[in-house]
Amino acid sequence: MKELNTLLDRIIQRVNIDLREINYNVEPFVRQLVTSDQMTKFYAFYGITPNHPLNLNFKHSNLSGSYFLGKSRIANSLLYKTDIRGDELKKKNEIFGYKNFKIPVNKDEGISIDDSFLIKTLVHNFSHDPETLETFFIRDTISTHYANIHGSPSDGCFLGPFSTVDLTTMRDCLIGTYSYVQAGEISHLDIKPGTLWIRQPDEFNFIYRYPLDQLNEYIYFTAGRLPQGILMDFTEDRKEAFQRVFERVDMETTLSVPSNASLDRYAVVKPKTRIGENVLVAQRAYLQNSSLGKGANAQENCYIINSTLQGNNVTAHGAKIIEADLGKNVFVGFNSFLRGRPNYRLTIGQDTIIMPHTIIDNRKPLSVPPNHLVWGMVKDEKDLARNSLPLNDFSKIDSHFSTGNMLFEGSGAAFVTAFKNRIQHILEANGAFFNGTENKGHAQQNQNISFNIIQPYPDGDKEGLYPTIHIRP
Amino acid sequence: MKKYIVRDFMVPISEYATVAESATLYESVLALEKAQEDYAKNRYSHRAVLVMNADKRVIGKLSQLDFLCALEQKDNNYDRAFNLSHLGFSSKAIASHKEQHRKRTPPINEIYEKATMSSITKFMQPHSHEEYIEDTTSLDIAVHQLNAGPYLSLLVTKGPDTENIVGVLRLADVFSVVFNAMKKYESTITDRTDTG
Repeated sequence: MKELNTLLDRIIQRVNIDLREINYNVEPFVRQLVTSDQMTKFYAFYGITPNHPLNLNFKHSNLSGSYFLGKSRIANSLLYKTDIRGDELKKKNEIFGYKNFKIPVNKDEGISIDDSFLIKTLVHNFSHDPETLETFFIRDTISTHYANIHGSPSDGCFLGPFSTVDLTTMRDCLIGTYSYVQAGEISHLDIKPGTLWIRQPDEFNFIYRYPLDQLNEYIYFTAGRLPQGILMDFTEDRKEAFQRVFERVDMETTLSVPSNASLDRYAVVKPKTRIGENVLVAQRAYLQNSSLGKGANAQENCYIINSTLQGNNVTAHGAKIIEADLGKNVFVGFNSFLRGRPNYRLTIGQDTIIMPHTIIDNRKPLSVPPNHLVWGMVKDEKDLARNSLPLNDFSKIDSHFSTGNMLFEGSGAAFVTAFKNRIQHILEANGAFFNGTENKGHAQQNQNISFNIIQPYPDGDKEGLYPTIHIRP
Repeated sequence: MKKYIVRDFMVPISEYATVAESATLYESVLALEKAQEDYAKNRYSHRAVLVMNADKRVIGKLSQLDFLCALEQKDNNYDRAFNLSHLGFSSKAIASHKEQHRKRTPPINEIYEKATMSSITKFMQPHSHEEYIEDTTSLDIAVHQLNAGPYLSLLVTKGPDTENIVGVLRLADVFSVVFNAMKKYESTITDRTDTG
């Protein structure tokens, strides 16, 4: 255990040095987040498929309860119940387009994690930084519960719980609790909790800031304590179901899964759930009494309960849908929390985009019309009127627009087009459009995965550390 | 300056505008207005009112600026919402965002009604340790202390006990003393030159 503690000290010091300009000390926030007992209790596991390169390298790290797929290298790091999902990494000889450049990829891209502490974090997608095409690096970084590092190389950063950094290279930044950032490249920024910020320089700039008094009810993080609030309570209440899934070796399901759909062995599926064709259900997803229509997906840490998804629905990493009916092509962004009530359901019309980190929590029936863009905190019709706009109207913005706590500047048309293109790409990547021979995606390619488990030293100075392991074909 | 002491230039606490901590904002402003009328002879009027607790101890002060701030509809989210320039927004867009916020604020009469009925303790500023000075301290030390804050006034105590307030030393009064001393010195120099 001695080496594990030394490793944690080393990571905290390195991150503090990187964040010294922001004058932020991560230690009181991080020290007690995961106990030593938890760090040694769970096995790590990795997937083998014929469709993804197998090249895993672990050195001087703790990997408790974490999952690995694809090419990755972990050194001097602590990964607790974290998913390193390398099934979208760039492959050798691909051409990466960036502005007017067409850049050849020289070798298979790999995820490289050094001197970092990631807690219940999802690492996915690929590096969108043209300066580091073949390496998706995460260095001197601490991320906390249910953070998403999505296509975002990171150096010297701290991510609060339920935060997401998407397609953005970040250096020496503090990403506040429940903040979402998609801005290409950022450095030395202190992003305050509850900030939703999407920027494409010279094209558009969108920001929404949650009223803190309202956000704190859902997620609140302070030094010396675990994250608190409805979002944490919601996941903790369902933790036991996942423990059963992870403890058993011979998981069998009676659920009928079409041959072109994929249900991960580490997902929880409760009774009366229906899975349609081309559906993808990722590990750590939770389904209960719900119907997923053709081409829908439920990504990591998603919860879909007592709900209906008509088809081609993206439920992005960490999104939760409860007592809701979603039309076709509805997109629900990262870590969104949509909760109707049994007698007061939430209805969302087709083609509507629920932006990342949106909270809809209605106690009366609520209907979001089709073809709308929705963001921020929505509890009733009044909030919905303030925090949504028809996509057609949004597309007409050509200078700036402000409503409630939201400010947009730039081209609304470019913003809507970028979102729609992204949704189309996600559906394609997930195999929603597979026709039996063409358009294979994760739903078809992730069907047959073998899982191997690895375990740490059980005792002594190295207790909790995994031996150096290099896994290759 | 060293020969002057604070006690000689302070306003005695009995002549200063004070209100009880139970007072409303409106009552506090009335007290300030009355003190200014009573002190009309002085070229520098009162710019703050002291707040006293039930034991007649000073627990804070309300300045003219605090009063104006009380009428501004700034909630906890105001600064978070508009601190955007470092995230790439133009000043024009931020100004438009602020204007939208202003439109959502209640009519001015409602703001007046709500603010004036609020307790003064909501808007008063507590004194920091550096805002106390003993009555026997020399004026050059007081000048340094006012500059170090910077402060518009200091609470004058009898001895080291900060609960024993005997007056208020105001920046305006200190300025007046220093300025007159300087004029006197300059005229002495001029006289010497003329006679030399």
